[in-house]
Amino acid sequence: MTAQLLLQGLAIGVVNGILYVLTALGLTLIYGILHIVNFAHGEVFMLGAMGVYYLYVIGKIPLVVALALIVLLAMVSGLLVERAFFRRLRGQWLQLVVASVGISLIVQSLSWIVFGAQEKHVPSILPGVVEWAGVRMPRERLLAAAVSLLLVAGLYWFVQRTRTGLAMRAIEEDEETARMLGVDADRVAALAVGLGFVLAALGGAFVAPIYSLNPGMGLEAIIMCFIIVIIGGLGSITGTLLAGLLIGVLQSVGAIALGSEAAQVLVFVAMIAVLVLRPAGLLGKA
Amino acid sequence: MSPSRVALALLVALLATLPFTATPYWLHVGIVVLINVAYTASVYAVLRMGYLSFGHAGYIALGAYATVVLTTKFGVSPWIGMLAGGALAALFGWLLGAVTLGLRGIYFSLAIFAFGEIVNAVFRAFDWFGGPAGLAGVPRPEFLGTKLESHASFYSLVLVIVGLSLLALYRLQHTHFGFTLLAFKTADTEKLAQSVGIDAARYKTACFTVSCFIAGLVGAVHAHYLNFVSPSIFTLFYSTDLVIFAMVGGIGNFWGPVLGAALLTALGEQLFSVGYWKSLVYASILMIVIIGLPGGLLDLPKTVRGWFARRPRTDAAS
Repeated sequence: MTAQLLLQGLAIGVVNGILYVLTALGLTLIYGILHIVNFAHGEVFMLGAMGVYYLYVIGKIPLVVALALIVLLAMVSGLLVERAFFRRLRGQWLQLVVASVGISLIVQSLSWIVFGAQEKHVPSILPGVVEWAGVRMPRERLLAAAVSLLLVAGLYWFVQRTRTGLAMRAIEEDEETARMLGVDADRVAALAVGLGFVLAALGGAFVAPIYSLNPGMGLEAIIMCFIIVIIGGLGSITGTLLAGLLIGVLQSVGAIALGSEAAQVLVFVAMIAVLVLRPAGLLGKA
Repeated sequence: MSPSRVALALLVALLATLPFTATPYWLHVGIVVLINVAYTASVYAVLRMGYLSFGHAGYIALGAYATVVLTTKFGVSPWIGMLAGGALAALFGWLLGAVTLGLRGIYFSLAIFAFGEIVNAVFRAFDWFGGPAGLAGVPRPEFLGTKLESHASFYSLVLVIVGLSLLALYRLQHTHFGFTLLAFKTADTEKLAQSVGIDAARYKTACFTVSCFIAGLVGAVHAHYLNFVSPSIFTLFYSTDLVIFAMVGGIGNFWGPVLGAALLTALGEQLFSVGYWKSLVYASILMIVIIGLPGGLLDLPKTVRGWFARRPRTDAAS
């Protein structure tokens, strides 16, 4: 492996890692409040990407309006899912996890039936390639990564600096005490699920022009996100960002050195190793 | 004999007469139902001590591939192959259980889930294992000089092996060992058990190893029934189906998961040939049961009686 190839692999890894982070952050946000791993998250990601295809490509709606619609729909469905299922099952982790698997299976199988198995493509929104020091990177990926990073910064600001963010952190820390101090835990939980869904849908929307789309894409995404949040530490924003970059690089450099199947196994082994050696993740609270 | 024992004896007698009365199609349904019942019971064996496995398909695949490789590449007898399948799954269960059963709740589930994905990726990656297409030409075992090629004869084999597996799991859960496992459901009760000298890690690993042995053994039988294996059979979706069967039946006692697996598998075999519809129906039934019938189908009689009983008007949420 030449230095040039390694550099190229690193660059792709970093950009891919950032693209995973947005979706993974939604997952970690929901976990922080509800203590469940939301298996349905990948389907929201898939629906976000499909939304770009059906609204922007088929429906000819301007891209910004399409994205706004996707955000709105994701928020509403997050609130509905929280109200219909998650709130009823609060405190029963087994039922919650299995319910999220059930929702995921329903959405995915309906999508295969409705959207069909045919791969869908969103034409390039920003064609061209940036070349710097011999490393080539499509403009589109750079743009998607830059917007994602902005959103990550926005989320960090929201959680750290606003009253609602404070309420979220309070519930994460100690729900009983937060409730006693007047935090409306149900509202905050609903908001967390809604926001988590928005992040996942946007994560899917941003990669729509980069990947070809099919109803199974959510499963691949959710697997990567599980790995990232486990390695970064469930509930930690900075840990998720760090782990996203690490996994992106491990995957792309591993694929260049060993082939993509072996790289995938490597990533899973890394996840089990972190679970066994440091279950709270790299930056999670022990 | 108690009424439930009489019912069980009648059921076993009925199942034993099927090879002489049922058509090949119904024997096929019987085989698939029995196999899924055994898988689900093995998932439940771990679930009842508070550990949710999202990777049992990985252990099933280990058992299936072990016997397929031994019989097709080395000409080993399928009987040895099936035992080796169980043993290989048990070995991996023991190794992984020892390092992951210290984790609680979702962390364990995700570790086992990752293991299932690794097993799948490895079988997919190596041509020696047949790659994505899998391996075909798996022979049926021979018994007293005749190959078990007919549905009736293979059904009988499955009935014996699944019956013995269920008996083993049931007996195990109703011993001192089995009751002790219930103490590991929460971190607090586990500490309590340890404080009176119970080696929690050893108990949990032993239970997980037994569960994996049965998953692997029945997985091997499954491969001999299908005459082939491929990585696309034993995916994450198989693992989640088993969890759905258990939850729909109800995880209150041993018979809930058995009931759930039998009913849903029989339904799935009847109505659907396309995977998406099957998965849609399974998942929809799951959601209805989780929200409307928290104890699973086992609780159905109690819930129905509750509808007719006079209900005091109280706020259930408070």
